[in-house]
Amino acid sequence: MSSGDASQAVAVLAGLELLTAVLLAWRGPASSPRGPLAVQGFALAGLVAVIGVAEGEPVLWLVALLVAVLKGVVLPTLVVRRPGRTARPDPARAAVARPVVRPAVVRGRSRVPLLLGAAGLVVVAYLAARPVARVVTGATGQALPVGFALVLVGFALLATGRRSQSQLVGFLVLDNGIATTAFLATGGVPLVVELGVSLDVLLVVLVLQVLGSRIDTAFGAGAPGGTDLDQLRELHD
Amino acid sequence: MAAVLASPLTAPLGVALVWVALLGPALCALAVLLLRRRAVVLVADVVASSVVLLCGVALLAGVADGGAAVVTAGGLLRVDPLAGYLLVVVGAVALTATWGGLSPARARSRRGGRYTALVCLFLAAMVLAVVADDLGVTWVAVEGTTITTAFLVGFAGGRRAVEAAWKYVVLASVGVGIAFLGLVLLYAATRAAGDPTLSWVRLVTDRPAVDPTVARMGLLLAALGFATKAGLAPMHAWLPDAHSQAPAPVSGLMSGVLLAVAFGAVLRIQRLDAVLLDGTAVRTLLLVGGLLSLLVAAVLVVTQRDVKRMLAYSSIEHMGLVAVAAAVGGRLALAAMLVHLLVHGLAKASTFVMAGRVLAVERTTTIADVHGLVRSAPRVGIPFLAGAVTLLGLPPSGLFLTEAALVVAGLRAGYGWAMAIVLVLLLVVFVGMGRAVMAMTLGARPEPAGPPEAVAAATEALTAPLVPVVLALTAACLLVMATPLAGTLDSVVAVLGGAP
Amino acid sequence: MSLRLGLLAVLSLALVAACAGGALGTAARQRVSPLLGALVGAAAVWTGALAWSGGTGGLVVGTVLPGVGARYAPDRLGGAFLVLVGAVTVLASVWALDGARGTAASRTAWVAYPLFVLGLLGVMAAADVVAFLLAWEVMAVASAVLVLADHAHRPEVVGAGLWYAGMTQLSFLLVLGGFAVLASAAGGTAWADLARLAPDAGATGLGVGLLLLGFVTKAGAVPVHVWLPRAHPEAPSHVSALMSAAMVKAGVYGVLLVVVRLFPAGPSWWGLVLLVVGSVSAVFGILQAGVAADLKRLLAYSTTENVGLILVAVGAAQVTTARGDVATGHVLLVAALLLTSGHAAAKSVLFLTAGSVLHATGLRDLDRLGGLGRTMPWTCGAFGVAALGAAGLPVTAGFVAEWTLLQALVHAGGPADPRLGLVSALAVTVVALTAGLALMTFTKAFGIAFLGRPRSDGAAAAHEVGRAERVAAALGALAVLGLGLVPGPMATAAVRALGVDGVTAAGTTLAAGVRLGGVAAAPGAVGGAAAGADGLVPVLDPLALSLATLAALVVVAGVVARLRRRAARRAVELGWGCGGARVSPRMQYTATSYAEPLVRIFDAPLGVSRSVATTTADAPYVVRAMSFRQRVRDVFEEHGYRPLLRAAARVGDAGRALHNGSVHRYLAWSFATFVVVLGLAAR
Repeated sequence: MSSGDASQAVAVLAGLELLTAVLLAWRGPASSPRGPLAVQGFALAGLVAVIGVAEGEPVLWLVALLVAVLKGVVLPTLVVRRPGRTARPDPARAAVARPVVRPAVVRGRSRVPLLLGAAGLVVVAYLAARPVARVVTGATGQALPVGFALVLVGFALLATGRRSQSQLVGFLVLDNGIATTAFLATGGVPLVVELGVSLDVLLVVLVLQVLGSRIDTAFGAGAPGGTDLDQLRELHD
Repeated sequence: MAAVLASPLTAPLGVALVWVALLGPALCALAVLLLRRRAVVLVADVVASSVVLLCGVALLAGVADGGAAVVTAGGLLRVDPLAGYLLVVVGAVALTATWGGLSPARARSRRGGRYTALVCLFLAAMVLAVVADDLGVTWVAVEGTTITTAFLVGFAGGRRAVEAAWKYVVLASVGVGIAFLGLVLLYAATRAAGDPTLSWVRLVTDRPAVDPTVARMGLLLAALGFATKAGLAPMHAWLPDAHSQAPAPVSGLMSGVLLAVAFGAVLRIQRLDAVLLDGTAVRTLLLVGGLLSLLVAAVLVVTQRDVKRMLAYSSIEHMGLVAVAAAVGGRLALAAMLVHLLVHGLAKASTFVMAGRVLAVERTTTIADVHGLVRSAPRVGIPFLAGAVTLLGLPPSGLFLTEAALVVAGLRAGYGWAMAIVLVLLLVVFVGMGRAVMAMTLGARPEPAGPPEAVAAATEALTAPLVPVVLALTAACLLVMATPLAGTLDSVVAVLGGAP
Repeated sequence: MSLRLGLLAVLSLALVAACAGGALGTAARQRVSPLLGALVGAAAVWTGALAWSGGTGGLVVGTVLPGVGARYAPDRLGGAFLVLVGAVTVLASVWALDGARGTAASRTAWVAYPLFVLGLLGVMAAADVVAFLLAWEVMAVASAVLVLADHAHRPEVVGAGLWYAGMTQLSFLLVLGGFAVLASAAGGTAWADLARLAPDAGATGLGVGLLLLGFVTKAGAVPVHVWLPRAHPEAPSHVSALMSAAMVKAGVYGVLLVVVRLFPAGPSWWGLVLLVVGSVSAVFGILQAGVAADLKRLLAYSTTENVGLILVAVGAAQVTTARGDVATGHVLLVAALLLTSGHAAAKSVLFLTAGSVLHATGLRDLDRLGGLGRTMPWTCGAFGVAALGAAGLPVTAGFVAEWTLLQALVHAGGPADPRLGLVSALAVTVVALTAGLALMTFTKAFGIAFLGRPRSDGAAAAHEVGRAERVAAALGALAVLGLGLVPGPMATAAVRALGVDGVTAAGTTLAAGVRLGGVAAAPGAVGGAAAGADGLVPVLDPLALSLATLAALVVVAGVVARLRRRAARRAVELGWGCGGARVSPRMQYTATSYAEPLVRIFDAPLGVSRSVATTTADAPYVVRAMSFRQRVRDVFEEHGYRPLLRAAARVGDAGRALHNGSVHRYLAWSFATFVVVLGLAAR
């Protein structure tokens, strides 16, 4: 693969990631985040593979496989998984719980400010990535802003997500953003670290998933993932 | 004795100690999960803490005072004086919290095994975070502490606990995610300089000529991320919720050691900033974060209504002081900061343990609902009062000396305005917390509302051993006077760049 | 002999006493702990005397922090204060043999007591900043524990303890800040290092300003006195005595440390600040004391007044010295030390006897006391002598001190320096007004409590207290008289402690008087030698004065006796009696009614509120009952501290909105911080 081809491929895959991120920001509450997340994960894996080819590092192939499995399959599946425990909320608890309000489901929100915000974040990402892109050699530097944009958009999704699942999605986009930055800027961190990080991310998502189901139980949401996180206001000063 | 302690460890012994410290807690967790005997469940975390403490003391004695650092696992793990010192902090504070938090009732309960196992794993993660030389491994371990404590925070069950756990995991893992982005950028910078590495010691000794902007971005973001776990404002928001909802020994562990361990990572980053760049970026971050933390703590302690939240804000306050001390830098301030970490950990763990017993006896953590503890339950009230007084930095507490040293060092380094702010906020915290603690502990014995109920938890709290708390508070008072340890402390300070 | 031995003795005795207090049983503790306390005091007197006479050596307490060690090595001034504190400790401890009961003799209290004394002594003995701060805070903590001794029985104790703790911490932080400024400017923490700083440099000014503020807080001066009228009444009486006579003096010692020892050449504004603070304290303190009906509260406010006078003396000394009149300045400093010692003696007796009254009657309220002179003659005598001292009347230490102060103030300035003259004239006015009001106050305290008839059952059932209490009170009263009759040695000691030469204690020609050489010296002249020649040197020889007065009295008594023998005795029959035939205790003056004129005159500064409620029957002029309620508030507290505390509470309430529980808000903080840091870093 020539350097030009690699550069093209990187640009396409990075663009795909950004596109899915915006899609996730734009999507309605009813639609499943699984598809875009999976696409994003596979795009990231593809990116790793391309870098592996361009830099001639066979170990990156292995990493690409790991990424594809973890971020393309496992994590998107986990996010939309319906833990069995939440199917039947404890009636005793549900009775004492506050009346169930699910504005995130019921109320439609205008997507325009969100998209405008995302556009602004992309600009910030571009500015922030410039000094890093200067020091990156090879074909990947020009795509670096995408990594930062993913981080920022993911963070914004996380901060504005009203339900546990939306925050999980935001977290994953953020994580994908960091990973993208890592691969684009450095060709991947050392393998030990990469493995550890992957394990950590997997465990965090699992923990959040379990906690999300516990929230549903404790706060008496009818549907899994239906609790508005703004209900979590009992701990305050 | 000192000569023996100061003798450099023979390499194999040192390596063995590192692995014992690392695997000991993990094995304890395994034993709990496999054996499920009540006795094992009861004491496994205490055993794990003791192992860490013993290994920490031995390692610190070996690597300090001119001893060579212990390196193992292909350079991924390395114990220098700072790591040894932090190991001692982890072990000592964890021993206080776990021993003081021994609860036969919990050990008998269905989830007791899970609790003990998670505490042991939490300890293992903290030990790994401390002894890792590779910053990536440190990151993995710090994130590991979030994972292991998530269920501990939510252990009590119920809406509040699960709410605290959710906020904790989301906020902490996002914060630590920022740290990973920072490490990635640091790695990119070193890669561009021709020597891709995240090994702390290599970065400090080789001093690669990194691009200053990228390195600054990386170091700043890494420091900010780890500062989240260290409880520095404005990334601290998880802390009061998590600390107030976790079981008391876990609150003590998180407040006393987890913050210190995370701050240890911040210190490593700060050292890198000083070596690779001019050191102003992280210093400014720490100064601003430290002062903000003090401000937040002062404002929220004044009208605080919950005793465990009050202790949590007190932790934020102390981490703020520690951050300011780190920002001030220099031999005196760094030594004061290190001692502060240890003493605060011991005192905070003791106070949290006692706050847990207050909760068991009074069945509330609302400050306004607790009166006259010293009279009504002296075995709980007096140690609680003593712990709080120690935290307030009154002599003979070691915090008294470290705070005074911080102010002097800060003025000497030209941070007069910052020290003025620190002093004013310290007074506010003192009055706010002092008022609450005095209202809870002093005064006449309250009239019992009804016939005394024989609550098992209250009985257990009233008869629980006081030895660990007394030991920890005594150590918190006397350690600063231990002049023979000055050399050891100096070698730890030297790791952080404090010129002797 | 080396000071080290003395310091070690003090330290080890205090630690032994603290351990004994913790370990012994109740009965043994009651016997042993006070004796050990007295031993600590005696050791301190010995050590202080050594230091005062120029002994050398010291004690170093190391720490694990690099370059941070605490060195205790008192100099002459510190030695003098050690003697003072040690002596007061001996008195208070002896009194406590009988006087400390109940919660005042609890295990906690007897652990804290020797540590309190140790901290006090440490402050005077410190030779560097660390040692000073450490001792200062030990003193603060231990005294707070003692103030809180009775927390379980009286709810107001906890409030008093909180005020005390807060103000004492304020004082500590100010002192810490001040010393930190000085130490960082000087590059060292020893007094010798600090003394090298230029006194007119900006950093020195800032540091000294903070220090003076911190010290006067401890000394209980207005407007940072609010802890004092709370803490002193609530503490056990022997602790009150120690706090008032010794701990408050730690603040005075701090002020002297700064203006005499570290920066003798300081600018005059330091002195002006002290003068203003001292004047306000003196007048405000004695006004509040004058209208107080609680005996211990009265004594506490009187402490504020005395501290005010001491500060006036030190401030005037600083001003006169800075303006070139060194000799008068020296006399003023000696006056400050005389005031200090005189007040320490008088106030320890007053608090101890007030404690005895409290034991005997269970009362602190003057309005319910009365007639104790008959039932408690020892206590009455000691209180009377000490009250004379506190009011500054002759044959007592207080008179000598105030006389010296007035003499020096009157002679300060003069035609050569009218501005200084104006300052000193104002100061003279303040001292005179204070002295007058003090006379009234202590007449009230003594007259209402000990004369007349008992105003309540408690007062009627009073009995003389135990031997130890009487011995302590008598010893203290003797000290008040001794210092008043033979002030020469004390003045000499003060001169030596301060290292000044404006005053000479007359030797053989005058039995024991004080020759204020510097006072008559021309402004600018150093020392009293020049003035001695023209024979205008004011001399104070109270012993001679007293003997002369005594002789005159003998003559007068003789004449009166002769006249009486000549006149015939006539019996008087009172037809109407004018109410005197059926005297009831309720007809007597009470403390409140005695102070009524004062309340009327100083209504506004005292912040008095009173209400009269009349219960009538049938017709408005058939009065069944009347109730009168009067409350004297502290204007500084009302208009200074309360609003501040309310504002703090408001900020706290508003601050609670920061943590409103919304995870989105918390994440937004993190996000914003992340973006800001990213943006700043990528610049």
